Amino acid sequence: MIGEASSSSHSCFSGSNALSHVYIQYPPLRCHVPGSRSLFYDDGNKLILSLTSNQVFSWKTAPYDPNVAPSSDPIREGPVLSIRYSLDLKLLGIQRSSHEIQIWNKESGDTFSQKCRPESESILGFFWTDSPTCDIVFVKTSGLELYSYNNESRNLHLVQTKKLSISWYIYTHESRLVVLASGMQCKTLTGYQLSSAGIIRLPKFEIVMAKPQANNNPSLAAEDVHIITAYGRIYCLQFDRVAMLLHCYRFYRDAVVQQGSLPVYSNRIDVSVVDNVLLVHQVEAKVVIIYDLFADSLSPISAPLPLFLRGFSRANIASTQTASKASGTSESDLSDTEVTIYGDQWDFLVPDLVCDISNGYLWKINLDLEAISASSSEVQLILEFLQRRKLEAEKAKQLCLAITRTIILERRPVPVVAMIMDVLLTAYSHAIKTGSYYKRIRAEETSQSGASNVNKPKPAVNDSTTGIDASGKFIKQGSESGTENESYTRSNVPTSDPDGSLILNSSLPDPSIGSERGYLLEPGTSGGEDLPAGPSQILGSGNNQSNSNVSERHQNQVTSSPATSPADLYSSVFAQVEEEMARDGSYLVAIIVEFLRSASLEKLKVHPSTYVLMVQILARDERYAQLGTFIMNKIIEPSKEVALQLLESGRQNLQIRKLGLDMLRQLLLHHDYVLLLVQDGFYLEALRYARKNKVNTVRPSLFLEAAYASKDPQHLAAVLRFFSDFIPGFSSSSDHHMYRRIAAEMAS
Amino acid sequence: MGVASEKDASEAMKLCVFDLRRGQTEGQELDKILFFYPADLPLSTQLSVIGLSEGLVTFTRIFSPEAPCEVIEAERHSHVFYEAEPDIWMVMVVEKESEAIWRVDALRRVLKEVHTLFVMFHGSARALVDRDPSGGLVRTHLYYFIMDFLSAFEKRSPLEYCCWDFSIGTKLQLPNFRDSLKERGTLQMLTVGREAAIEVQSLVAVLESCAGDTLCYSLTMFQDLLVSTNLSPIDTVNLFTYAVLRLTPLALSHGASSWSHSRKADTACNTSTGALLLNSGPAAEQYYNSSDASPLLRHNYPLVRPLQHSKWSKGKDGFLTTDIWGRDVNSLVPTCPTIWLRQTEEKMYILAYQHRGLTVILLIPVSSVSGEQGIAMLKQQILENASLKMLKVEERLSRGWGGENAYHVSGYRYLLVDGDRYISRASPPGKVTTLTKVSNFYFS
Repeated sequence: MIGEASSSSHSCFSGSNALSHVYIQYPPLRCHVPGSRSLFYDDGNKLILSLTSNQVFSWKTAPYDPNVAPSSDPIREGPVLSIRYSLDLKLLGIQRSSHEIQIWNKESGDTFSQKCRPESESILGFFWTDSPTCDIVFVKTSGLELYSYNNESRNLHLVQTKKLSISWYIYTHESRLVVLASGMQCKTLTGYQLSSAGIIRLPKFEIVMAKPQANNNPSLAAEDVHIITAYGRIYCLQFDRVAMLLHCYRFYRDAVVQQGSLPVYSNRIDVSVVDNVLLVHQVEAKVVIIYDLFADSLSPISAPLPLFLRGFSRANIASTQTASKASGTSESDLSDTEVTIYGDQWDFLVPDLVCDISNGYLWKINLDLEAISASSSEVQLILEFLQRRKLEAEKAKQLCLAITRTIILERRPVPVVAMIMDVLLTAYSHAIKTGSYYKRIRAEETSQSGASNVNKPKPAVNDSTTGIDASGKFIKQGSESGTENESYTRSNVPTSDPDGSLILNSSLPDPSIGSERGYLLEPGTSGGEDLPAGPSQILGSGNNQSNSNVSERHQNQVTSSPATSPADLYSSVFAQVEEEMARDGSYLVAIIVEFLRSASLEKLKVHPSTYVLMVQILARDERYAQLGTFIMNKIIEPSKEVALQLLESGRQNLQIRKLGLDMLRQLLLHHDYVLLLVQDGFYLEALRYARKNKVNTVRPSLFLEAAYASKDPQHLAAVLRFFSDFIPGFSSSSDHHMYRRIAAEMAS
Repeated sequence: MGVASEKDASEAMKLCVFDLRRGQTEGQELDKILFFYPADLPLSTQLSVIGLSEGLVTFTRIFSPEAPCEVIEAERHSHVFYEAEPDIWMVMVVEKESEAIWRVDALRRVLKEVHTLFVMFHGSARALVDRDPSGGLVRTHLYYFIMDFLSAFEKRSPLEYCCWDFSIGTKLQLPNFRDSLKERGTLQMLTVGREAAIEVQSLVAVLESCAGDTLCYSLTMFQDLLVSTNLSPIDTVNLFTYAVLRLTPLALSHGASSWSHSRKADTACNTSTGALLLNSGPAAEQYYNSSDASPLLRHNYPLVRPLQHSKWSKGKDGFLTTDIWGRDVNSLVPTCPTIWLRQTEEKMYILAYQHRGLTVILLIPVSSVSGEQGIAMLKQQILENASLKMLKVEERLSRGWGGENAYHVSGYRYLLVDGDRYISRASPPGKVTTLTKVSNFYFS
């Protein structure tokens, strides 16, 4: 897929392993502390928590940085069933038993407990929410209890209860959705979404499972159900162990619709979502299958391939060892322990992390876009896929351009290339309309000026968002942060469906934009400031681009959209392939025409250099008739650049030169027009034109020189007379004296 | 069409083609004549016309060797000269009528048009003469070609000037000042918007890509107007002229409606072959009694009459077909028409596809296609890849088209000629006849 012509732009890509499409990058984040008892993942804050007997250590996982230093808080001794920070990180909730949850206020140091009646119910778990009505939700066997935290009295007030007999539950903060299982076989699922827009109850639905035998009714287990979010939509995946299928349900506001089933090749599976792409880990088979749920298509992007550990070598280990020693962290090294891919102790965290509990390693799962694009021959599909990527937008963009280049160099049929142009330019126009394309420019601007950029011309849709972005800082918790999320999501999820689907457009953060970052980067926690710059950090900083106003880091290479502008296509595709296509100008022209067609469909402006290139090619191939048609029909839009190129190319062909002159005149570039007429020796016509259009910027001496060169004393005298009559003060200029003398000499 | 009217026409105009390199010895003068219209004129009259013309040419050459005489104005006749090929002259003699003022330049253009079209289909007359020194080949071709060119359509109503045949009603209608708001040898263009133009170019690219790596040309028309082409200007004019005469939807529908009449015209032509016999030597006897081309075929003269009326029709697949070029011996599939390009001197197949108002003509080098089979494959490819696009283009063009009176400027009759690019635009013919105001604007 990647041709030799694209080598220049490929230097930035690290070597990819063609035998895998998904990789984890060495080194991992080491979340092991001596004496730690257990690891927890706080998905609300994207923290990995490690507990010792009297301390809790937390590592930020977003933006992912393997070298991030942990922060710690003291906790009281005692059993811990689960532990989660509040979304503003001021409170720490610890479930001590099935009857008691302790809440510790970090600022004041107060602790209080919330207990339940042990005889009738038990606590299954809890989580913090950003819903306007409540702050924390307890999931009990008897139902949900929604509490709000009172800052003054420093305790919880019960706001609401939802009575329901619950066997188990799953919750992801990403979706703000809690799914409750009830019934004998736990097959009846109920969902509540607790977002900043309020609480939505989803319709109850039944999971249908295949039976192993006639009389055996298996019950549904919590680990077989996964909530995932992709493109702002929420799906529920249910693993049917008997049928060996992964059923896919999509949540709408008022319905749950089964979307189909994915085949499963392993008795143990897990799922991740990386950049809106669904990865189904076939743990026993040690392969991963990739799906892009965007178009509701359930066919995999590519063949099942293993997960690859990238950057793991002896040399690497040595360097990181010294590095880790230098930074003072003393942790067990990978050199001693083998990295087992899909080990038994692997725990997949929402959305794209995997934790090796036995070693205390946290890996982030990445997509190898290069390998994916190289493995598919369906150019259109792969480009659409790449255009939807946001995490590695710059890389996706470069890949798109490289693919386009290769396709053209391979001389694929024009309709194929036309399709590619359509895909790329539609995506670009979409990115512009939704504003995601301007994110990059804005990030650059803010990092340079640091000032607000409200005055910059931007699509109207996006200005309000910009205002919040640039000036709003990170608003405090509660409903206000909800509005911020809202604006983020609106402008950044081009995929939001208008069909009333449950995309939570009010609160659901797009994982790639990650409004949770707002919480993470809350001033006070040791934040992203220590994020080192380096190739391995591109992902992290890319993830963080919209926060450039908060942390003024250099983010010039950062983009949130892989959209390729017409200018990109010119500079990275047409201009680059032009030399190699020298013998096949008509093909390239056909391609550019297709490009223009796509651009005009999307009402995009095309850079004049593209037109200049067309003129060059057509003139070089001496296809003057066609060039004439292109100019007359304004397929090549008039511009000064084009006009000058026409004049240049028209040296061999008078017709073309005339087209260039006409274009100059039509563009009202009187100065250039007059200048050219003089240069061509038509100085009298130039004078007439100059007089008519009030051009007085051309030096009289040029006309005089031209008249002199014609060796006609009468003409010279006429020109002299013209300037004396129409230019005040000309009679006293040196030109006047000199040429008057010359005219006299010529006449004599 | 009666004999009397035929006579009328013959009195009004004479048209001859002769070769100065032939018949230069005493008694062989007849050999010079390659074509004479009207053919039934006594030989002595024919010879006197040609003798006078030759004399004038030779005489004026003394003063202007490069460009001998163009026109001679006599008291009752105008003689219009055109040297089509070196030493091959075409002369038109028109009677000066009281009311008709001939545009001599337009008459010369008629001669030029006949010749360029002839060359497009048959190659140069000189080459034909060289191939058959007896002159039979070139005479046959010229005879049928020019007769077809001039042949009459009885049913042509005055409103349908736009078809460029000369015989209107019963009389040869030659261009004069009064009614000819058109410039022969120019193109009439359709004005299209940018988006439509891009669509058209995109279609053209797809069509050309169907032919693979071979360089091919295309000409796209909407109704009787040119939309786009990548042919050289001179070939464009020729092919455009032919397309307007025989290929566009309008031309096809005329062909269909006047089918029976054109049959009559054919027989009329044949009745007058007699004259040809007398001066064309022994070969002429072979086709003296011919009512069709078969005897000529026997003599290795594959007679092609591309200007024959109502021979083109639209096939089910959208491609225009004709059996003018004969049929394959083994099948009933008509042979694909071919033409010669002036610019590159290449022989090209013509493939014309029509969808409603849109006519797309594709020219493919004969050398690059493997016979009829290759053509059939190419057609298949075009249908697969481009038919949808043609549908779209047609729709877009017809949406943007203002009808045949689109370029009418109310209150004026105009003719606008861009001599650099061989383009002209004129008041729509329907309007011209209804306007009484004589406000002609001539720009050339």
